[in-house]
Amino acid sequence: MTKRLLSVGLALALAIAVAACGSSSSSSGSGSSSSPLVGAGSTLVAPLMSKWQADYESKSEETVTYGAIGSGGGIDQITSRSVDFGASDAPLTPEQFEEAEGVVQIPWALSGTVPAYNVSGAPKNLKLSGDVLAEIYLGKITQWDDPAIAKLNPGASLPSTKITPVYRSDGSGDTYAFTNYLSTVSPEFKSTVGVSTTVKFPTGVGAEKNDGVAAAISQTDGAIGYVGLAYAISNELSMPLVENSAGNFPEPGVESVEAAAGAVSKIGPNNEISLANLPASAKDAYPISTYTYVIVPLESEKAEALRKFITYAISPAAQEFGPDLDFAPLPKQVVAADKKAIAKIGS
Amino acid sequence: MEAGALSNPVLRARRNRIDRIGDPLLRGLSGLAAALAVAVIAGIAYEVVRLAWPAIAHFGIGFITTNDWNPVTERFGAAPFIYGTVVTSAIALIFAAPLSVAISIYLTELAPARVRRPVATLVDMLAAIPSVILGLWGILVLGPFMHDTIEPALKSAFGFLPIFGGDPSAFSYLTAALILTIMTTPIITSVTREVFETVPGELKEGSYALGATRWEMVRQVVLPYSRAGIVGATILGLGRAIGEAIAVAQVIGGATGINVSLFHTGSTMAAQIAAQFQGAPGALQKPSLAYLGVILLVFAVIVNIVARLIVQRGKLKDFQVTPTEAEAL
Repeated sequence: MTKRLLSVGLALALAIAVAACGSSSSSSGSGSSSSPLVGAGSTLVAPLMSKWQADYESKSEETVTYGAIGSGGGIDQITSRSVDFGASDAPLTPEQFEEAEGVVQIPWALSGTVPAYNVSGAPKNLKLSGDVLAEIYLGKITQWDDPAIAKLNPGASLPSTKITPVYRSDGSGDTYAFTNYLSTVSPEFKSTVGVSTTVKFPTGVGAEKNDGVAAAISQTDGAIGYVGLAYAISNELSMPLVENSAGNFPEPGVESVEAAAGAVSKIGPNNEISLANLPASAKDAYPISTYTYVIVPLESEKAEALRKFITYAISPAAQEFGPDLDFAPLPKQVVAADKKAIAKIGS
Repeated sequence: MEAGALSNPVLRARRNRIDRIGDPLLRGLSGLAAALAVAVIAGIAYEVVRLAWPAIAHFGIGFITTNDWNPVTERFGAAPFIYGTVVTSAIALIFAAPLSVAISIYLTELAPARVRRPVATLVDMLAAIPSVILGLWGILVLGPFMHDTIEPALKSAFGFLPIFGGDPSAFSYLTAALILTIMTTPIITSVTREVFETVPGELKEGSYALGATRWEMVRQVVLPYSRAGIVGATILGLGRAIGEAIAVAQVIGGATGINVSLFHTGSTMAAQIAAQFQGAPGALQKPSLAYLGVILLVFAVIVNIVARLIVQRGKLKDFQVTPTEAEAL
């Protein structure tokens, strides 16, 4: 009796397994119109993406699913073509481009990376410059009452607390944006640390993801770290004001990020845009602004659906969800470049 | 019923037929399962080595002793992570092994019967806490406590030792080691408890009959009889400690250098792989992380072999000597 039950159970399990295999292969084989677009990558763009998904589905009746697994993961997944599109805050390196074979990257959202600090006894909105940030992360400025910090904050009372720099220990678009900025302002930072999604900081504490960095900052008196703009604002972290090339200290936010994007018209051959080196004429520009990119294969079964979705994402209707979530709308010249790039998909 | 069924020749024939199918079927299925396990291990080892090959070819064996991890200059080495793995696992076991033995002695020999089961269940449930949750607790509760209380105290008492020098930090080798202690304790406890329960009652009663106190009985009968089991349990815990990635990555601070101070940030092989593998840029970072994985695999194999050797030797010695000793007494 038990034996018979067992064999019935086995047969049932087998039947289910076969059916599951069959259905999954048939769904991937059938046309692109019914199956949803699948994307993965950047956690920065995830809140904006969830608005886009809902709105796009109601307008076009096509679904998009998105896994916020981190920029690095997004690059991996699109390289192996396990998803239909990847999203990354850092533009692909030349090696990654080569490895991913036949992809195009399109800047589709605009935000920033901001420092955040926790120093008891220090004033709110402490002013810092790029040089000071670089020296903190190089381990050269080690106390909050350092003369270089005092000079930027005349009259402020600064405690002698030890500075604990916090960085991302996992691969992160925020690390890319932050080191890209510090390397632009400090030749020494560029030569000793450099720019990447993971770098070797000579000092400090590493933490995982935005939440880990935020927790490390909040638990350590004297800590300073960097997180995504939207994350910092929604979690009400205290952010220092960072000096831009005009010598001003703009408040980090949508307006100052938009000002930075508006001041840069140079778009790289692979649509990469660096906002680290701003002209002095950009008075209100936030100095650590960054684009985030979608990465799509030039040729795929879903080329048409991808074209449609990305065209939607860069349209004013989609971009206007941004400001509430601390994303700035894309400037005109970027939208124009994006449209050219979108035209290449599937053609 | 059974005998009646077999006396019927038709049913017996059927029974024989089932037996003829059953035995080979059993052999086939179980053999297949065993082969599958071997194939999975071999496949994983092959794949990790294949992934690591560019780094193995580029850095060679010197990778193991290189004390650097710089994705920008593409100079990678395993030394900081091997050091971190060894230090955190060793400290975790130094705390967890005696603690687990003590818990097991209490649960098997001392605790009143109605306390045993709830306490044993709670200790087992420690193992069920997801490591991410334990890591979060490490960041929010244990880390600050280490930074504010434990580390300053250790520093003022033993600051002359380099391992307790340096500034206290919430993220440190020591914090990670304590998280690993919490993770390994339930594993070691549940195995040692089972081992203690196998100590024959006659031996214990004999010991009491000879006038041994409870402590003397534990020391002279339970512990020697269970030595091999305790070592085996500890090695099982070591395996867990070496391999734990997520919780360690959350609290160890991800520094990529060797630091003598236990208060300093560091990293382990598993934590480094977990933190950086996804989307590692460049031609060498991902292979180097896979190379760390190869070293980790070798570590695991060595730990397993050592455990087997110790348990086998212990078995021969203890299980024979102790009963005869007891008899001699």
